[in-house]
Amino acid sequence: MNILTRLTIAATLAVTALGASDASATDITFYYPIAVGGPITKVVDDYVAEFSKTHPDITVKPVYTGSYQDSIVKAMTAAKAGNAPDVAVLLSTDMFTLIDDELIEPYDAIAKSESDQAWIKSFYPAFMENSQADGHTWGIPFQRSTIVQYWNKDAFKAAGLDPEKPPANWDEMVAFGKKLTKRDASGAVTQWGLEIPSSGFPYWLFQALTTQNGAILANQDGTKVAYNDPKVVEALQFFADLSQKHEVMPKGVIDWGTTPKDFFEGKTAMMWTTTGNLTNVRSNAKFAFGVAALPSKVRGGSPTGGGNIYIFKSGDKARQAAALEFARFLSTPERAADWGIATGYVATRPDAWQTDAMKKYVSGFASAAVARDQLKEAVAELSTHDNQRVTKALNDALQAVLTGVKPAKPALDEAQAEATRILARYQP
Amino acid sequence: MLNRLGEFASTVIAWLFGLIWALPLLYAIWAAVHPSAFATRFDLLAPLTLQNFGRAWAAAPFARYFLNTALLVLGVMAAQFVICTLAAFGLARWKFFGSGVLFALILVQLMVTPDVLIMENYRTLQKLGLIDTLTGVGLPYVASAFGIFLLRQSFKSIPKELDDAARMEGASTLQTIRRVYLPLARPVYVAYGLVSVSYHWNNFLWPLIVTNSVETRPLTVGLQVFASVDQGIDWSVICAAALMTSAPLMIAFLLFQRAFIQSFLRAGIR
Repeated sequence: MNILTRLTIAATLAVTALGASDASATDITFYYPIAVGGPITKVVDDYVAEFSKTHPDITVKPVYTGSYQDSIVKAMTAAKAGNAPDVAVLLSTDMFTLIDDELIEPYDAIAKSESDQAWIKSFYPAFMENSQADGHTWGIPFQRSTIVQYWNKDAFKAAGLDPEKPPANWDEMVAFGKKLTKRDASGAVTQWGLEIPSSGFPYWLFQALTTQNGAILANQDGTKVAYNDPKVVEALQFFADLSQKHEVMPKGVIDWGTTPKDFFEGKTAMMWTTTGNLTNVRSNAKFAFGVAALPSKVRGGSPTGGGNIYIFKSGDKARQAAALEFARFLSTPERAADWGIATGYVATRPDAWQTDAMKKYVSGFASAAVARDQLKEAVAELSTHDNQRVTKALNDALQAVLTGVKPAKPALDEAQAEATRILARYQP
Repeated sequence: MLNRLGEFASTVIAWLFGLIWALPLLYAIWAAVHPSAFATRFDLLAPLTLQNFGRAWAAAPFARYFLNTALLVLGVMAAQFVICTLAAFGLARWKFFGSGVLFALILVQLMVTPDVLIMENYRTLQKLGLIDTLTGVGLPYVASAFGIFLLRQSFKSIPKELDDAARMEGASTLQTIRRVYLPLARPVYVAYGLVSVSYHWNNFLWPLIVTNSVETRPLTVGLQVFASVDQGIDWSVICAAALMTSAPLMIAFLLFQRAFIQSFLRAGIR
């Protein structure tokens, strides 16, 4: 026997031995994006460390995957090459895309015990609207949000408004906005009444307006949209009028990322943004501020937003069971409360709000509960098959109207035609 | 007199353009050394601080990321130099069947953006077992069409007589390449090296997709933790992080400025 053969045999034995010792532990990979500031990777690492303490037979490898956009690209690339993550946090609106590509496993297929079934039912129904389709549950709410309005109480006082009373409906919003918009001697605006951001994903904020006007943008199965419904056209006209006719909001596209900064610096007296911003506003606003549910027109309401936990198909029973175990661990009432406090997202289940930590947090900071209370009126975030392209049609129309390039009706007719064309192949 | 006036005007205009070009950088420096309350407010008396750099440094394991990025860009550049030199020499000096077609195929690669190939590249690396390794991040880039094209053109412009003279002295092919072609194409190497290093220093999507651990991820992936879309943007920390991560490149450029600019002029890349 020469040296080479001996080495080969030794190596083979070593590999077999390693493989055998590996078989007793299950390794799973967890992809997660970060959409809020702060040391979030550390919080996630701590969760994983805690999990491995109580589950020594499962090893979780947490992988930070950038923004939501980057995360879906990474997860889908890896999954299609046969290297899928076992658990991933991705946008709730990515659900149809993931189903169409047959990448994710429905929870009801793996979570069969009675306690598993009860667990699936334990979340706020508004969050489950974006998590269920075709009679299956595909996602479990993790970092979810709604849109709320923030107002600067000092600016309200200065404008002669009641600082404790935010606008309750559209008319009040315009009236307050006119009082709050301040101009200097040359006519340049020094303080705007309101900012509703319209960069990046304008459809989400716009969906709040359509909801309040009584329109629903897409059906539950994600096969039809109603972009040119008269109520939607009316909502878009109002969105454009805020800057073009009433002049209470800056003209053109308002940047999502810098809107909170404008609020801190007094460039706008009111803003609409996610509850995920709460912790940020709380630590940066140098004035008294308030948080309230959005104003109403025919009804109140906001779309939900944010990320769900998905379990990917791996064809390996043990890994899927471990993935389920980890998903359940991440969504216990205590952890949902902890994650909500750390990030500002809405804790995803009613019993999370009954935990001691959450009770203490809310008693010191009542604004934290606003988004939860708004859930009663919340609707599913716009999500369809081929979601990216269908929402892009609407985004393009919105920005064209807000920048004054097109009137509302023809822009939305065009978006509807484009969306109908894309969705044609998904019709039953 | 008129001549001097013209010269003066062109100097002023050059300074003006230079200033406009430098504004984003100047702003980044301003935002990075002031508390975030002053990020968009210009006040000469604003208090100076280095805190933003501290916060940026603590937000991700940047020391490790610096090492990874340095290993990656240097490794990729070294591999590119070897492969592109040999390929370019073959295409420039040897006549063989199908060399024209081969060169055309290489040029076709220039038209394809790397992002289109992410899926296929990932599959290949998966089969090779190179997912989540620095080699995996760099491998798809080592046979660079741009590098081959650039070096082939410059090798072609080197007089054949020099090559012949080296042969007469008894030099082998590799010796000829090293003694004749490399020194004469030096400006092209410097220019191409700079393009390659800055591209891979900034590359983001591919490294993000193909890596999973701190040990293999480059700086750009670390920077991404500041893009907190749900929460608005803290310009001060972002600017501090951006300055910090681009500093080595900027310092290197300033040090070797003269050599770089001359190389670019000679190599004809602008």
